[in-house]
Amino acid sequence: MEPGGGVTPRGVEAARRTEAPWVRTLEAADGVWAVFLQARRRDAHVHVGDVHAPDAEMALVLAKENYARRDPCVSLWVVPARAIRGTASDAADMFEPATDKSYRFGGSYRQQQRVYRGGYSAGPTEDDR
Amino acid sequence: MTVPASSVALGDPAVRAAFREWLLRIADDELAIGHRHAEWTGVGPDIESDVAMSSIAQEELGHARLLYEQIAGEAPGAVDRLAFGRPPSEFRNAVLLEQPNQGWEFSITRLALYEAFESVRFGLLARSGQEPVAALAATLAREERYHGLFAATWLERLAGASVDAGGRVQAALDVAWPYALGFFETTDADGVLLRAGLVSDSAERQRDVWEAAVRPLLERCALTPPVAEPRLGGRRGVHTPALGEMHAAMTEVWASDPEARW
Repeated sequence: MEPGGGVTPRGVEAARRTEAPWVRTLEAADGVWAVFLQARRRDAHVHVGDVHAPDAEMALVLAKENYARRDPCVSLWVVPARAIRGTASDAADMFEPATDKSYRFGGSYRQQQRVYRGGYSAGPTEDDR
Repeated sequence: MTVPASSVALGDPAVRAAFREWLLRIADDELAIGHRHAEWTGVGPDIESDVAMSSIAQEELGHARLLYEQIAGEAPGAVDRLAFGRPPSEFRNAVLLEQPNQGWEFSITRLALYEAFESVRFGLLARSGQEPVAALAATLAREERYHGLFAATWLERLAGASVDAGGRVQAALDVAWPYALGFFETTDADGVLLRAGLVSDSAERQRDVWEAAVRPLLERCALTPPVAEPRLGGRRGVHTPALGEMHAAMTEVWASDPEARW
């Protein structure tokens, strides 16, 4: 393969380089798919569990009955669990702020709260009046 | 306000009896396959498919209950009496659906054949003009779509997994196919419903529509339906010994005290 073409060796190299001690690959057996469920149209897809399946189509078919039969669902994603990269558990420290950064939290912005709650609409709402 | 033609038709006792007969077939089909599928609970090939098949079984039993309600009304105990209080000779399910599971490949093959038929039949019921059953049929067809998807997804993978697996699925199809043709067995009721305009397609036409849906799936799986005569009987209450055995297990708890409130 040409350098820089297709799935770039450069990209792979970059990924390897970033797989420093704080990056980990999920430990998962062959054929394990992570299932992400979207409960309503504006919600994020949330990881709800895994299924064993030989391919994506079967993973979706099984995920539907195993994860979407009791609660609302409008969309499912499945991802090979081994394709997921995460931060290592002993890297949790880096998420701890060293100084008070509460001024960054978006919790007091009404518009942002609406987006988080999924009730977002472009027009003015009761809160704005 | 105009009264739908089908409601006028149902004023005729012969048409009403035929329509009841048709609903009873559908409900008995759902009860029979629902019971067989429920036998997979706890022993499915993997936990995910076990849960999915059990959920499908529960939905089929739920469909049976809703259809029995249309026949028996909502009086306390009426549905249970209809489902569990009849002898096997009064069941109208196709004989395919009472057959034991035998193996996963048989249950999946049967489910694929049955769901294609359900799709044809619920379509006809939804167009029967007979409310509230027509609206119910349209609603139930939504759930059946997933059942068909589950069956087709499994069938394609089983059939293509290995030479041995493909042979086993073909053997299951060889057994299931002649029974499946029994879906289209007719009685006097079919003629009555056709003439009254409650059912728009003859049994032959229904079979053509079904085969047009089923054959491409089987071809994708490199499976060939056998050339065989239909195995009939179910629509007339003539069943295989498998129903007697299933009926005994299915009705055991209810029969222990028919008046009990569960």
